[in-house]
Amino acid sequence: MSANAQTLEQLIGHEYKQGFVTDVETDFFPPGLNEGTIRALSAIKKEPEFMLEWRLAAYRHWLTMKSPEWAHVSFPPIDYQAISYYSAPKTQADGPKSLDELDPELLETYKKLGIPLAEQERLAGVAVDAVFDSVSVATTFKEKLAEAGVIFCSFSDAVQEHPDLVRQYLGTVVPYTDNFFAVLNSAVFSDGSFVFIPKGVRCPMELSTYFRINAANTGQFERTLIIAEDDAHVSYLEGCTAPMRDENQLHAAVVELIALDRAEIKYSTVQNWYPGDKEGKGGIYNFVTKRGACRGVRSKISWTQVETGSAITWKYPGCILQGDHSVGEFYSVAVTNNYQQADTGTKMIHIGKNTSSTIISKGISAGHAQNSYRGLVKILKGAENARNYTQCDSLLIGDRCGAHTFPYVVVKQPTARVEHEASTSKISEDQLFFCQQRGLSMEDAVSMIVNGFCKEVFKELPMEFAVEAQALLGISLEGSVG
Amino acid sequence: MNTVSQSTARYVADYDSIASQLPGSGLSWLQAMRTRALSQFSASGFPSPREEEWKYTNVAPIERKMFLPRRAIPGSVDIGLLGRYRLPDAFTLVFVDGGFDAGLSNFSGLPDGVVIAPLSEALGRFPELVRSRLGGCIESEPHGFISFNTAMFSDGVLVVLPARTVLERPIQLLHVATQPESLCTVRHLIVAENSAKGEIVESFVGQEDLSYLTASVCEVDIGENAAVTLHKFQAETAKAFHFGGIYVKQAQHGRFEHHNCSFGGLLVRSEIHVGLDQASECLLNGLFLGSGRQHVDNHTRVDHFKPYGISREVYKGILDERARGVFQGRMIVHQDAQKTDSNMTNRNLLLSVDAEIDTKPQLEIYADDVKCGHGVTVGQLEEELVFYLRSRGIDEPSARNMLTFAFANEMVEKIEYESLRSLVLEELISRLPQASAIKEWL
Repeated sequence: MSANAQTLEQLIGHEYKQGFVTDVETDFFPPGLNEGTIRALSAIKKEPEFMLEWRLAAYRHWLTMKSPEWAHVSFPPIDYQAISYYSAPKTQADGPKSLDELDPELLETYKKLGIPLAEQERLAGVAVDAVFDSVSVATTFKEKLAEAGVIFCSFSDAVQEHPDLVRQYLGTVVPYTDNFFAVLNSAVFSDGSFVFIPKGVRCPMELSTYFRINAANTGQFERTLIIAEDDAHVSYLEGCTAPMRDENQLHAAVVELIALDRAEIKYSTVQNWYPGDKEGKGGIYNFVTKRGACRGVRSKISWTQVETGSAITWKYPGCILQGDHSVGEFYSVAVTNNYQQADTGTKMIHIGKNTSSTIISKGISAGHAQNSYRGLVKILKGAENARNYTQCDSLLIGDRCGAHTFPYVVVKQPTARVEHEASTSKISEDQLFFCQQRGLSMEDAVSMIVNGFCKEVFKELPMEFAVEAQALLGISLEGSVG
Repeated sequence: MNTVSQSTARYVADYDSIASQLPGSGLSWLQAMRTRALSQFSASGFPSPREEEWKYTNVAPIERKMFLPRRAIPGSVDIGLLGRYRLPDAFTLVFVDGGFDAGLSNFSGLPDGVVIAPLSEALGRFPELVRSRLGGCIESEPHGFISFNTAMFSDGVLVVLPARTVLERPIQLLHVATQPESLCTVRHLIVAENSAKGEIVESFVGQEDLSYLTASVCEVDIGENAAVTLHKFQAETAKAFHFGGIYVKQAQHGRFEHHNCSFGGLLVRSEIHVGLDQASECLLNGLFLGSGRQHVDNHTRVDHFKPYGISREVYKGILDERARGVFQGRMIVHQDAQKTDSNMTNRNLLLSVDAEIDTKPQLEIYADDVKCGHGVTVGQLEEELVFYLRSRGIDEPSARNMLTFAFANEMVEKIEYESLRSLVLEELISRLPQASAIKEWL
């Protein structure tokens, strides 16, 4: 056991490498939230009237709501008046036309984070939309994508340039009356990414958004909207980091995906917000609403997430399987360490005939962390021959952490087939012994077993991300027994 | 929660008029306990679906009605019905509309030291014993039905199995409803002292097509190395409402086994809460059938407080027509409960397009060196199995029936107590289509 404890120590003792602060001049709103804030925000964004109306409707609805308490997490009440709802690098105000005009400090930041925007211009690969605090600072490969007919831009640009598309789809998956945090987001979201893949187009490259919180006392509220028309295909990646701070920062995002006939959207997340220090001080509250609608026949939405950061994670990427034969997938690895809390899972709502969904969730809990899987599989009456398979496995490292499973299964259709399996255990002594006996060190053995535990999910990630995720897992848990 | 329903207010308002008729009305400690429970009930009312634990079960139909506590003139008991459900080889205590009926009961010839007494009598004979035990097994915050029962219980049984006693014959607690809109609020206390062993059957039946409410609570205290097997046989009428709560506290190396067979009732909620100590073992088996507009909710909670506990749980449901089944299983492994080995399975068969199942198996684990798992399946009969039988010349309805019966029978076979097993089997067959054909196969 002592060797195990030691490895655990090493594992837990890692540093958060993305915890630096970038010193840029910013425009920001003083803390506080009222209708004035929202009007000001909308004015800065030069938004059309319908957007402002929508935001205000959301805000008025939000005032009638209470912060939800059902999740298996605990945190002191959030003072929504103490948050600044807008913070943007100053240079952005004039709107750089190309990367050359971008503040070098910002370019440096993204380079440090391993997202060299400038090089990305030259090396073919992934198109990146970089979101810094409240605004998108750069989007690469815009022209090349435009050739294919793909629209990939910041949400603000989309509102200006494609207001009809925004108006048609915004809020159709996550309405402004949804849950507490989604409603707040609807009222105050400042930017995000917008993707539109027209009929029959297969997006020529991976799209990616990199979210960075930099300013103190701000909340980040971004909104992503991805629309894949008939026969379109897109793979989208999302990454996030934040500086190390003692106070908690709120990140309440909304992601809406819409897949029409035979379209396919693959959405991958590597979430590495600052998780707080060893004593559980600071860190990001990651309260996110992600939902995809498989509107068309044979459409497919696949969520893959690797959650290693955030003090508290509260997210349930879901699929509404409306079209007949549509497919929903959810692959998740959630790692919590120290005092992190995660309450995450998915919702699969089967409406159409012959719809199928797969849920693979792997939770790893270490230190004093609490890790919960919470999922809903709902088969409605019309969903003949619907199929669901769910597997939730939890790995426990240390005797002060917790792993919980809260699956909800609601079936109203007899031809449906639903299977749910869950297991919780620690790394078995036998497995460790076997590896060590073959000459592996304790640490290597643990890392190998943990990687094997997560493999089913990692193989769903795009290659570049799979490597990053594996490394991240290593840093988060290196040497731990589990 | 804020607005207490009319019926709740009436139960509270009428309470004074019945209080003096309730057993133990002369005991001040019991009066205090009942008054406390009544004020809790008056504040909370019956649980609402807004509470997470009651998410899928709405008890508004119970609130819309007003059930009457035990009347002075008892209804006439259908001896035939009683005979059908009476287990021939058990000590039997009969409760008519929640009141103990000495004439119909038979539990003479008890071994030395064993106590079986109606609670109304036990409160006079062993007031201190009852006082120290009553409510002792209920760890969680009591909800509306429990406080309702505590305030209103009209009788029940006290069973004490002294240390190192093995009770060879099982005890049957047979509850029968004979009057419309009646109320059966019984409270049972079962105490198995160290190394004692016993078996108890709770049976719930009703006459004709009566509508009534059963709100029973059973507390089981299992000492070190003691073993208790508890059965619940629920065949209430098609219009009956049923709440049955079972609260079990196990000491070291204790063993608890529960078989829950739920057949009747319009709105049924069964709760089983078990708390395990070091190296104790708990086995929960359940079978529930629903048809018509029945709503059957099974709620179990197993708390592993100490290391080396073992728990096994299997619940199977068969839902036909417009029935709705609910299964909520909570397995909690507390921080000190290392080496816990627990498993929970829930399998459900939906036979009709209008049937529904809501299932929620939960694991909450705060210790690391454990082996816990759960599994759920929902579906209809395997087409391959049906095909296999049809290829052997069996027509489709019979094939489906055979498979449905086999699915349920697996749970019946787990019951070791023979005369109960055959009673359950008979009840099961009578509720499946083609009853005579099934009998033929057997």
